[in-house]
Amino acid sequence: MSLLGIRWTGTTAFTLTEMRVQLHEGLAIVTSMIVQVVLLIFVVLLDRAILPYALVGAVLYSVFMLGQRVQNEAAYIRIDHKLTELYHASPLSAEGYFVGMSTGVLLAYLPPILVIVGVLELSAPLHAASALVLVGVASALWLFTCSLGYIISTFFRDNRAIWPYATLLTNLFGVLPPVLYPIGFLPAYWHPIALMLPTSSAAVLVEAAQGGLVTLTGGELALGAVALVLEAAVTFLAALYWARRSARER
Amino acid sequence: MASDPVHGDRPGGAVFPAFALIGWRWISRNPAAAVAPILLPFIFLYFLRLISPPSYLPLEIVGAMLFTTQNIGSWVLGDSATWRIETRMQDVFVASPLVKVRYLFGIAFSNLIPAAPALAVLAVYLAVTIPVAPLSWVVLGGCLFVLWILFSAIGVAISSRVRSQREIWPVGNLTFTTLGMLSPLYYPLTVLPPAWQVAARFLPTTYAALLVQGQMGLPGAVPSDLALDGVLLVLLAILGTVLALRLYRWREGD
Repeated sequence: MSLLGIRWTGTTAFTLTEMRVQLHEGLAIVTSMIVQVVLLIFVVLLDRAILPYALVGAVLYSVFMLGQRVQNEAAYIRIDHKLTELYHASPLSAEGYFVGMSTGVLLAYLPPILVIVGVLELSAPLHAASALVLVGVASALWLFTCSLGYIISTFFRDNRAIWPYATLLTNLFGVLPPVLYPIGFLPAYWHPIALMLPTSSAAVLVEAAQGGLVTLTGGELALGAVALVLEAAVTFLAALYWARRSARER
Repeated sequence: MASDPVHGDRPGGAVFPAFALIGWRWISRNPAAAVAPILLPFIFLYFLRLISPPSYLPLEIVGAMLFTTQNIGSWVLGDSATWRIETRMQDVFVASPLVKVRYLFGIAFSNLIPAAPALAVLAVYLAVTIPVAPLSWVVLGGCLFVLWILFSAIGVAISSRVRSQREIWPVGNLTFTTLGMLSPLYYPLTVLPPAWQVAARFLPTTYAALLVQGQMGLPGAVPSDLALDGVLLVLLAILGTVLALRLYRWREGD
């Protein structure tokens, strides 16, 4: 099946395969929430007033972490299992391999994310509109992070060398910008930069849709939304291109 | 005493220089591996700075130093497991003049090297933030040393039990992050709920934190008997290290 020259052959089969592979690692799924929980504990102990922001941020941070899973998994399959060549020699398309892996990881890691969504609903319920915005921005963030993670994974020859980059990326995108705390904590001149980062723009858009959590101008909202959509689209297309390119022997 | 025909009279070899070289090569070939341990505590400190009273900053810097040292255990786990599972080096180490305690100190030293710049930068930050008496530096250094040995032993012990590379990250994350967060490293013990305070009293890192916080007279420090805290830290650390070494499988049959 081809759409815009993109081949999706085997995507469903590989999605299910990857989901089963991930589900065999229950401990990894459970521990994927540790950092978010730790940051939420910090907030509960030290500044409970920002808990609604932190919970929205924890959901989005968890989605962003899926890119790290894709990065590790793609590198693991290629470097340790040496299975990539076999997959690429099969009818599975390069695009299907990347998208199937990303979707499989999403399906396996969705339950703990939904637990945080449940806590959010219990402590600071979202309106229907802001819940829809949350689903939308989380989808865009997932596209962005999985694409970035997949592209980065192809540059490594040693699994041990990956973790520092993965850790830096998740902290630079997830903890530093206003994802788990209000954008109002930052001086106004930092706001445009925060709104151009996919993680913080996603969080701010949900908070703005909820009303009362953040007050932004129309221009600021447009900047956040356009930046997120563009970043997701561009990295996704780049990852599709790179998946096809890196499937060939170099 | 007859000398070993293969290794002569120095059965241990030059463990520290050899493992120091490994540690240095690791950060010199992977710049991110050198940068990440420095940046990560500061990213956490930045977040804490936003949500906590400014008076907690010195306590949080000390907490970052203790947490960074504790995290060396996680890197020891990763290295030791990778060498055993992926590169099959464990058999070579066992066949060499190393014994398991020397191996532990070697791998702990190798992983102290990437952490050292972070600890140095945090120490400078602490000195800039508050005046620190010489005795307080000694106490802090002693606590870091004890935690370094203890958590490296825990890391190496766990490494001998993991069966696949995929287990390293979740097991390390679960063990070291959870242990770090259960102890009052980044906040005073008193802000924790009562049951949590009781649980934290079973962890050596708690006594390291209480000892340093009390010795430096940091805002938020709990009034406590520092000598008793020191004794409990050392006792729990010895107990933990002995248990870890008993858990550790150095060779087949251990």
